[in-house]
Amino acid sequence: MDFSSTISASGLIQQFLIGLSRSTILFIVSSGLSLVLGVLRIPNVAHGSLYMLGAFLCYSIATLVGAGSTGFWVGLALAPFCVAFVSLVVERALFSRLYDREHLMLLLFTFALMLLCRDAVKMIWGSEYRSLAPPEALQGSLSAFGMMFPKYNLFLLSLGPVVAIGLWFLTHKTKIGKIARAAAVDRDMVGAVGINVSWVFASVFVIGCFLAGLGGALVAPTQNINQGMDHTLIMEAFLIVIIGGLGNVWGALLGALIFGLTDSMGILVWPQFSIVFPYAVVVIALIFRPKGLLKATW
Amino acid sequence: MVEAKGYFKIRTVALLSILLVVLAVAPSFLPRFFTYLLALALLTGLLSTSLNLALGFGGMYQFHHAVFYGIGAYGVSLMLMKTSLPPVTGFILGPILSAILALIMGIICIRLSKLYFGMLQLSLGSLVWVVIFRWYSFTGGDDGLHGVPIPSLIATVTGSYYFTLIVTVCCMAILYMIVNSPYGRILQAIRDNPERSASIGVRVRAHQLVALVIAGFFAGIAGILFVSVEGSAFPDLLSWTLSLELIIMCLFGGWFTFFGPMLGSAIMVGLRTLVGGYTEYWTLVLAIILMLLIYFLPEGVLGYFQGLGANPKNTSAEDR
Amino acid sequence: MKKGVIALLFVCLFAIAGIWSGVVYAAEEIKVGIIDTYSGPPSSYALDVLDGFKLAMNKINAGGGILGKRLSYVTRDDKFKVDLGLTSAKELIMRENVNLLVGTINSAVSLAVSDLAKKENIPFIVTYGKSSNITGAKGHKFVFSMNENTEMIGKAAAIGLAKRPFVKYWIAGDDYEYGHAVADAVWNHLKKIKPDVQLMGQSWWKVGEPDFTPYITSILSAKPDAVIVATGGAGCIPFLKAAKNTGFNEKIPIYMHTATELSTLRPLGLDAPEGVIGTANYYFYYPETPENKAFVDEFRKAYDRYPSFGSLIGWCTASFIAEAYKKAGKVDAEQFAAALTGLTINSPIGNLTVGQFDNQLMLPMFMGVTKKVPGYDFLIASDIVTIPPNELITTAEEIRKAREQK
Repeated sequence: MDFSSTISASGLIQQFLIGLSRSTILFIVSSGLSLVLGVLRIPNVAHGSLYMLGAFLCYSIATLVGAGSTGFWVGLALAPFCVAFVSLVVERALFSRLYDREHLMLLLFTFALMLLCRDAVKMIWGSEYRSLAPPEALQGSLSAFGMMFPKYNLFLLSLGPVVAIGLWFLTHKTKIGKIARAAAVDRDMVGAVGINVSWVFASVFVIGCFLAGLGGALVAPTQNINQGMDHTLIMEAFLIVIIGGLGNVWGALLGALIFGLTDSMGILVWPQFSIVFPYAVVVIALIFRPKGLLKATW
Repeated sequence: MVEAKGYFKIRTVALLSILLVVLAVAPSFLPRFFTYLLALALLTGLLSTSLNLALGFGGMYQFHHAVFYGIGAYGVSLMLMKTSLPPVTGFILGPILSAILALIMGIICIRLSKLYFGMLQLSLGSLVWVVIFRWYSFTGGDDGLHGVPIPSLIATVTGSYYFTLIVTVCCMAILYMIVNSPYGRILQAIRDNPERSASIGVRVRAHQLVALVIAGFFAGIAGILFVSVEGSAFPDLLSWTLSLELIIMCLFGGWFTFFGPMLGSAIMVGLRTLVGGYTEYWTLVLAIILMLLIYFLPEGVLGYFQGLGANPKNTSAEDR
Repeated sequence: MKKGVIALLFVCLFAIAGIWSGVVYAAEEIKVGIIDTYSGPPSSYALDVLDGFKLAMNKINAGGGILGKRLSYVTRDDKFKVDLGLTSAKELIMRENVNLLVGTINSAVSLAVSDLAKKENIPFIVTYGKSSNITGAKGHKFVFSMNENTEMIGKAAAIGLAKRPFVKYWIAGDDYEYGHAVADAVWNHLKKIKPDVQLMGQSWWKVGEPDFTPYITSILSAKPDAVIVATGGAGCIPFLKAAKNTGFNEKIPIYMHTATELSTLRPLGLDAPEGVIGTANYYFYYPETPENKAFVDEFRKAYDRYPSFGSLIGWCTASFIAEAYKKAGKVDAEQFAAALTGLTINSPIGNLTVGQFDNQLMLPMFMGVTKKVPGYDFLIASDIVTIPPNELITTAEEIRKAREQK
């Protein structure tokens, strides 16, 4: 079949933009994962569950508040903080006691958290599909130059740079960010100069989880909210973090861009086998640079 | 660990022989369903013991062990369904395919250590899963392969049980010998201190790679046993959640012991069937068990009991 | 080691307790083992089936049961996993001594259990697994299907779509067995009825794809006359939602099987897109016969919601079980299976018959278009066209061919 005829310049640009907006979500979520991995050295399997939790909370808050679009905005604003609060409690009550254990134990612990989250979500929200409409101002799509572009994706697209700059500011310009980066390199040294490493870890963990919750709340209007959300996302986020370089937030950005763009361009170029594209790119990247494209923090 | 004082060994041997006799006569007094369950527990035990060779004795973060299990199962199923070669070739080819895959993945991953190794393996494993899941015409896609024509001798519940029992016992014996061979000692030395091992001239990577291939091979054997018991192969066998469950089984039984994973698997398979069939919230139960284990019993059930008997200062589990 | 011995004893005790408990065999009942997905997203379908089953079962038992025996059931959750489904099936057969098995929404589990049923000589009635292989290529005398299969979907869609003016089509769907099977069936049959149709291209996304926007925009830029969407249960709702959000349904007509079904439209509420063409086997508002009205009223009274297609499946399953045992005259697997083949019952949507050659329930198909209607807080189907079952069935010849190939 000849597909080349169906690809026009405007289609290409349109698909590129869609890919970018998709990358944005992937970046927001995987940068949180990467942050936790870099500083705490925990592959947080429960990260996807927190993303799911964010989406469900956004849905619940939005329906609780009601009143059309305001409900969604309130949900979007509050849900990530709720997720962050939950993660703070978990970190202080359970996680902080395990830092001196093996990585494997920590990994398994996050796996237990993932299982726990899944059943907790089932108990609270049941297993029906949930669906949330985007706020009225962002419904429908914009048409320009023969292209059609959903407004909500435009909104997502604009959010990517904001989060990236915010993260850069946080890690490079604030005190806690600097300490966290130092702790990622040598945690004993940071402890030796009299800084409470435990609290640094807690705050990094909470920030990471906040990003997961934010990602979840942001995607709530574009997809159906269900219990399988965590499963699909966590694998992609891990792949992104690996190709980007473990613990490197910019790597997560690069990985998310590669992943999101190959995915959306693949759909245009070879739709029948688009599912294989991102995976193939990941494997090629890893064969040449097994430690990721950018330098890992450890 | 496995070596101990004389009396301990005699006790162990006695215990094992009693267990073997009980297992050998089990189908004559057990209801059919429990015979089937026992076969399932045995093959899962073999699977997690093979994982433990890489994980507990090799110190490598083998995060996606289930891939080799699944490939073994698919290998034999496809051979039996699509070719007219004698069934034996299928049963031999399955594990060999797993071993080859383990070698390839091992070569790619072995350059990295610890978490990196595990994560890379996880991503390569998911790629294998995607291929199995997508290749409808060959692997049956997500529907899987059902009604695999198993030789009639081992197709019944009792037949497949004895087949599983015999193969598992032989494999466990071989694995036990490997762990206690000079090679096994070197492997454990590498786990405990790779730098020192390298400096006295041990080829660290080569030894680790061999361990990965052996682990993959025996996982493949567990895969063919699964097919003989269930008569099916499906993509779930390669899922990463199964891989994590296998690690939990190792942890449950004790991953610095040889028989721990087997015990852990038996308990987990039993619990999953008995609890999982009745409550919707089996994952919750699993999560709570796992958390309790991590907090209170990090050396596992068998590790705990052996720790009681052995020198209390022997805390090999702690410093890794 | 003493502690080790104690531990071992505990394990043994545990095992023995497990064996002895639960072996309670009551000859006074006909026990149905239901395996289905009661956790995760598919559970809403499974619960509809179960409630429909219970409704019919209670009525049967109130009327004196079957051959003087009560009808009862036990359920097991397969969690959408084949291994758990198989273990549960074996447990039901070997430990619970069920007379027959019923289930499940997962085609892979259905195929695996069907194979087991063949070995164990236990009748197995498939409720929601839609693979045409279940009763087609992999069919045998003990397996029955109570819902439409991918071949029937294909035929119905082709008949309905051929009447519309579309020529240039695009196919999109979930990248797994069901998606491809539906798409192939629709396309092959459409091509047969209307040879001038053209396939412009295809898009396949992974199962559970969270975001359909890139696919939709790429289809829009190709400008086909209509799109055939082949998504399974998990994909329907998010796809329709994305179609609404992007305005897809207003630009290009969409056909999707189950798009007009209650299980799809109810969760979407008023956010569902209008004008989507869909096929379904049951609407609680159509046909407007007294039988259907009575069924809907009974179901609403018992469970406080409208019955979906799943509820009808459950109802039919229990009713067919009762009728087949009555026809067989005794509780026997072989005779039950023989009696069920070709059996006809009177259902809320008219007479339904189990196929003579493939044990597939011959269901009619209704093609409609989604529409907002006052009085409901979800969309319903309008302009309904009925496609009778005799146009959808697989012929004996086709089945013979399919079974020979494998």
